[in-house]
This record gives sequence, C-alpha cells and structure tokens, in this order.
Amino acid sequence: MATKRPVLCPNCGAHVKKNGYCSACHMPLPVLKKAFNTSDYYYNIGYDRAVARDLSGAIDSLNISLRYNKKNIMSRNLLGLVYYEMGEIVNALSQWVMSVNYQSTGNLASKYLKELRQDPTLLSNVDQIAQKYNQALSYAKSEDFDLAIIQLKSVLSANPHFVKGYLLLALLYINSDNYERARTTLRRVLKIDKANTLAIHYLHEMGDTDENIIEMSKESVENDGLLEADEEAITLSSAGETGGSKIRLFFSDLIERYKAKAVSRGEYGEISFAKYSGIYVLLGIILGIFLLFFIVVPAQKRKIINEKDELIKAYSEELADKNATITSLTNEIANLNLELETAKNPQKAGDNPLPDYSDIQNGMSDDDLQNMIKNE
Amino acid sequence: MIIFEEELKRFQPIPEVSQAEDAIYSNDLKDISDIVFQVTEEMKTASVDAANRMVGRVRR
Repeated sequence: MATKRPVLCPNCGAHVKKNGYCSACHMPLPVLKKAFNTSDYYYNIGYDRAVARDLSGAIDSLNISLRYNKKNIMSRNLLGLVYYEMGEIVNALSQWVMSVNYQSTGNLASKYLKELRQDPTLLSNVDQIAQKYNQALSYAKSEDFDLAIIQLKSVLSANPHFVKGYLLLALLYINSDNYERARTTLRRVLKIDKANTLAIHYLHEMGDTDENIIEMSKESVENDGLLEADEEAITLSSAGETGGSKIRLFFSDLIERYKAKAVSRGEYGEISFAKYSGIYVLLGIILGIFLLFFIVVPAQKRKIINEKDELIKAYSEELADKNATITSLTNEIANLNLELETAKNPQKAGDNPLPDYSDIQNGMSDDDLQNMIKNE
Repeated sequence: MIIFEEELKRFQPIPEVSQAEDAIYSNDLKDISDIVFQVTEEMKTASVDAANRMVGRVRR
C-alpha cells in the first residue's frame, strides 16, 4: 500500500491539515498556491521582457511577482540583475541581499554578492557615481544646467548603462533646445531599455513618430560623440533562445558581462609599475642631463660672457680716462719744464735776435720802415 | 509639451552605498502570504472575542 506523502505549507513548511489550512501558520493552502502560481506567471512575463530588453517592463512585472510571493528567489535575483543592467547597483544589491536572506544556500545571488565583495573598487565607484548623480540633480534643480550636464557626462562615462542619468541628461538638453543631443542621449536609453516609457514620451514630445523611434533604437550608438569616453554598446545576444536554457543563457550572459567588467577593472587595478621604475629613473636622468646641457649651461655661459663684457667695457672706459689724464699731465709737465727753463735763463730769453730788417735794403721806404717798427 | 520643472520632479536622488541598508528595509514589501496571515490573525482574534462574549452571556 502506497504511503500518502504529507502536504507541507509553502509558507512555513509545517503540515497542512485535511481542511486545507496549515497546522502552524493557519494559512489556507489553496490561496497560497494560487498566489505562488501568479508570482511565477509574472516572473515569466518579467523574464520575457528582460530578454527582449524591455527592462522597465521587466521591473514592473517582477515587482508584481514579488507582491504575490516576496520569497520568489528567481524574481528577486532577476530584478537585481535588471537593476544592475540599468546601472542602479544599490537597488540590485538590496534585492540580492534580501534574496540571500530568504534562501542562503544554492542561491545565485550569493554568487553575485561574492563577486561584488571581491572587487572593493566597484563599491567605491558605485558610491561616487550615486553622489555625482545626486549632485547633478541638485544642480539641475538649482538651474545650474551646464554644471549638471558636465557632472552627468562624468557619471555616464563611469557607468554607461545608467538609464536614469541618460534620461536626466536628455531632459537638460531638451530644456536648452538642443534636440539633436537629446535624441542621441535617448537613443542610448533605448539601446539599454527598448521600451523606456519616459524616453519614448520625450521623443514623442520632440515630434518623433513611433516608426522613427523604432528605427532610432536600431541605430548604433557607437561613436555618437555623446560622451568623451564612449564604451562599446552591449547587445543582448540571448534573444531567440527557447525553453529552460533561456534563463541560464540570460543569466550567464549577464554574469559573463559582469565578470568581464570585473576582470578588466581588476587588471587596471593590478597593473604594477614597479617593473618600469628603472626606465622611469633612466628617463628622468636623461631628461635632467638634457636640461642641464641644453638649457641651464648655455644660460650660465651667456650670463658669464655678459658679465665679462660689462667688466671689459668698464675697464676700457677707466683706461681711456686714465690715458687722457696721463696725456694732459704730460703736457702740463712739458709746459712747466719749459716755463722752468725760461725762468732759469732770463738773459738767454733776452738774447732774442732782433727783427730781421735785411729786407730794408731791398728798397723799403722810410715810412714803411717806421710802420714795421711800430707794428713790431 | 514638456514642462521642465514638472519633468524634473520625476527624478529622485538614488541611494548611495551607505544607504543600502535603508533601501533593503524599505523594499521589504507585504506579499499575499503576509496579507492572508494578517487576515487570519484578525479573524482568530475576532473569533476568540466572540467566544469570550458568548461565555460571558451564558454565565450571566
């Protein structure tokens, strides 16, 4: 005779009585079963939306799923992943922490949390991004639009999947009548979240039709020049897969992407510059020598030459002065000697020969002679 | 028509890592099980009260 397996309460795990109520928590089993089935139903809808990259739709469905059963681990984990994909890391973390709290063993969320814990820089980056976004929001509210745009660009360079950041940036561009930039920004939103209601609303308000929006979401966002440091647009490749493997592929795809990000961050963090230190020292010495020989030494030489020139000029001027003084003194000495000699021999000075009047014999008249004597 | 100030009200500050704990507590929503449990407890309390009232009437 086959033994009848006891029915356990899905809420507390106690036995369910024959009347359909739990013996411990007194919950009606049919109601709980119905609620749990509805939760799974909304989880499936949420999953399909996530695969189709309708992330905001997926969030709505997964939240409804959790309203029916807050302990639906799959819903919580997927909601965390969707939040992570949309750049809302803290929300993702909170979902995963609660998921682990409800089921500590065999839970994918513990793997995600472990990965996050292994990368301490990630959390600090997340914190900085959140602070910068909040600051940008306060700038926008206080009408410092340029500062808000700069801050948002910085946020989006660090986290290119941050949908809220793109939406705020698009709103700021619309406010400054820069519609082309706003479209570029919203295109990025649609690449991440295909049916983002706010992005579509803004595009409708800018006069875009539904066809335009669909076409726009297909366009590539690479090298659109929106941010200074663009990163590759990530496309979900798991669409088209069927059955139970879909969820595994979706998760593995997201996890692999997450892992790739984590590894790349790790590589950046672990680059050792110690091996290049010798080269840097050598380069420093060469640069120092170069500076010494080509800049410092010529400048010093020029300075010394200038100083010498100045000195030579000064000495030359002094020498010329001295020579002039010597010449004048020499002349003075000569004059004084002459005067001295004259003073010593006065009779000799008186022996001056008389004027030559020899020409008189050559027919000079008496008057002429008198005039000449007078002149003399 | 986009009214900037109205649209800006849609944007709220996002929680920082230090506020993650608050986010977790605020996310602890009530599901169907909680509501049914609450209703069951209320019903239980109500039935106990009714039984007590009945006992009181009978004694009187």
